[in-house]
Amino acid sequence: MGDGRGSNSGSNSNSKPEWLEQYDVIGKIGEGTYGLVFLAKIKSNRAKSIAIKKFKQSKDGDGVSPTAIREIMLLREISHENVVKLANVHINHADMSLYLAFDYAEHDLYEIIRHHRDKVNQPINQYTIKSILWQLLNGLNYLHSNWIVHRDLKPSNILVMGDGEEQGVVKIADFGLARIYQAPLKPLSENGVVVTIWYRAPELLLGAKHYTSAVDMWAVGCIFAELLTLKPLFQGQEVKGTPNPFQLDQLDKIFKVLGHPTQEKWPTLVNLPHWQSDVQHIQGHKYDNAGLYTVVHLSPKNPAYDLLSKMLEYDPRKRITAAQALDHEYFRMEPLPGRNALVSPQPGEKVVNYPTRPVDTSTDIEGTISLQPSQPVSSGNSMSGAMGGPHVMQNRSMPRPMPMVGMQRMQPPGIPAYNLASQAGMGGVNPGGIPMQRGVGPQAHQQQQMRRKDPGMGMTGYPPQQKSRRF
Amino acid sequence: MADFTTSTHRANWIFTPQDLKEKYKDANKRAKQALEKYGATRMEVDIDGSFSYAEPQNDAKDNADKHSRPKALKIEEEQLLRAFYEFKIQDVCDAFKFPRKIQATALIYFKRFYLEWSVMEHHPKNIMLTCIYAACKAEENHVSAEELGKGIEQDHQMILNNEMLVLQSLGFDLIVYAPYRALEGFVSDLEESYDAKLGQSETIKSLHESAKAEVDKIMRTDAPLLYPPGQLALAALRRACEVHKLIDFERYLQNMFSRQHPAHATSELNLALNVIDMLINKLETPTSKDVKHIDRKLKSCLDPSSHDKSKKRKHRSKESSTEMQDML
Repeated sequence: MGDGRGSNSGSNSNSKPEWLEQYDVIGKIGEGTYGLVFLAKIKSNRAKSIAIKKFKQSKDGDGVSPTAIREIMLLREISHENVVKLANVHINHADMSLYLAFDYAEHDLYEIIRHHRDKVNQPINQYTIKSILWQLLNGLNYLHSNWIVHRDLKPSNILVMGDGEEQGVVKIADFGLARIYQAPLKPLSENGVVVTIWYRAPELLLGAKHYTSAVDMWAVGCIFAELLTLKPLFQGQEVKGTPNPFQLDQLDKIFKVLGHPTQEKWPTLVNLPHWQSDVQHIQGHKYDNAGLYTVVHLSPKNPAYDLLSKMLEYDPRKRITAAQALDHEYFRMEPLPGRNALVSPQPGEKVVNYPTRPVDTSTDIEGTISLQPSQPVSSGNSMSGAMGGPHVMQNRSMPRPMPMVGMQRMQPPGIPAYNLASQAGMGGVNPGGIPMQRGVGPQAHQQQQMRRKDPGMGMTGYPPQQKSRRF
Repeated sequence: MADFTTSTHRANWIFTPQDLKEKYKDANKRAKQALEKYGATRMEVDIDGSFSYAEPQNDAKDNADKHSRPKALKIEEEQLLRAFYEFKIQDVCDAFKFPRKIQATALIYFKRFYLEWSVMEHHPKNIMLTCIYAACKAEENHVSAEELGKGIEQDHQMILNNEMLVLQSLGFDLIVYAPYRALEGFVSDLEESYDAKLGQSETIKSLHESAKAEVDKIMRTDAPLLYPPGQLALAALRRACEVHKLIDFERYLQNMFSRQHPAHATSELNLALNVIDMLINKLETPTSKDVKHIDRKLKSCLDPSSHDKSKKRKHRSKESSTEMQDML
């Protein structure tokens, strides 16, 4: 975060914040309840693009948004090829807003799927589907083995790198809802469940109080099916304005394809809070069980179908894990998955050119920064008399620069060779056999949409493309 | 993440005793120099995000000849004041009935913050509250600043004003590994290997409780900046075992090692545990009386003009600081 603590830049209210000087901001690429996302180039290295996510100040004047804090604190601890990389954190002290700078990814699964459905009118090729799925699982396996549940996987949160050294590499993004397993529980109603319901696991729809890594695997199953058919698998109508997680229509959509879950197949089903109300509801319904394979047009003998059905297993305890999925036969058959999901190593394979992300150049990042004229930020107990005018001290910078990029992990001194702590600390030894699902809050916080009004908020179709100019 | 080995906690925030000494010395020296140069040590955040020392009023500056100039805190005085406020953190967290994890996180934030700054630059009372506030957010036990402020009769705006400063000073390394969870692991391990023989789960429970109380103490020493949480937990467990005389801790340790690290001897670990033990024995819990004169000294360092002005201009904050005194 070695920025924003400059020296002689002065407090000229008309100038850009110092950290912004290193970027050329191209325009806005996304918007959500959390704030805005901008595309920028690094001045010193024009080849490098950065996505800058600006968090709104948290409502009711309660300081830094907890979502931003959670996203930063998780991203600071993780590093994986298939997880988005936090390049820097910037602070605008004038309004106490936070800016996260990420390596920019040109594509995402939402756009890729839409392009195939609406523009080229043909399915995504098998190599691309398999490579995307494998990398998604690879990133997820990393997260899960680090005890992180993403909780909000959906096509728009799965990014794919554009031209460049990392072309076609998948990156899992948007950790605003991610949780560490051992984080404390809070009742659902406290924050309201408002994320997209299309990718939500049945146990959550039935009121399960614990998030486990299995909820992410359900979402991967839904995304896999969507890559195959170019249509969301379960497009339920969301009942809004209620903290109740029990979304009847979404359950209906699932049951129509997979049949109604039974206690034999899912023994802990009876313990779920909304199971009883569901039983009453479904008495009037008959689910014919259309069969998943007919929906995705795969033979039940096809390994792709086998993998998909294991991801969409009702019982979260039986659902396939990311690690198991990576080991599945599907990934050992031709075409083998590759690092560049967009370009097959097979000669002669047609390459689809996906459009670049629309950029709204009419929204300026500076317009959203709102520097107030020379208002001292420190108020409260500060001595206002001493604060007259812009007082600039020479080079009084923070004592320790803390760059976010390329921070070295030093071998900390004083740690004996055997790393006892890492094992006793968490996860490792786990002598008490503390279960994975322990203590993960089932609540979703406020709605977290990345860069567009997303589907899933009760809409049955895709929303029209946001008005924007091409970059 | 949940993996300490790759954590920012391990990479950035475990030090040698020498490191700590240097850092405390540097911060103290820097504040002292500022005092000489500007006549005050209080830091302000500028609109562009830079930090600077508050410029004293002209008259204060002019009058600041050698006699009236406030004296800087000594390193030991800073240490005592930190110790006082660290105890307060536990006090406040107990009053709010926050879980121990939050308490530990707040304490570690506080300790890390004052590796970067001198107490003369940022008043520990403010930082203490902001650390508790930030810990609540990070541990998903969100309490509004207002609620927190109200509960302890402090201005909540002050908590918010310092939030970004604290987050930034922590380098946004907010995930902290407290020893309580490690301790839980060891205790259930103990239970498995001993309980059958002893048939005394009640005793194990009380052993666990005393070990937790030992961790509470450890959290107020420098040990969390020196050792990983697993070792802190073992040190606490060892002390608890000495009191309870129920379990032969040495044998348990040997046992565990032969199971998990057959190649290693326990001697190295025992050295670490001895150091932690010593730190606990040396732990001071200063009372408000003990730090009263330091606090007075601190006030004049932070803000030399406050003495003559406080009655008129800073009536409100004066009031709240009196309340704070009462609370303390």
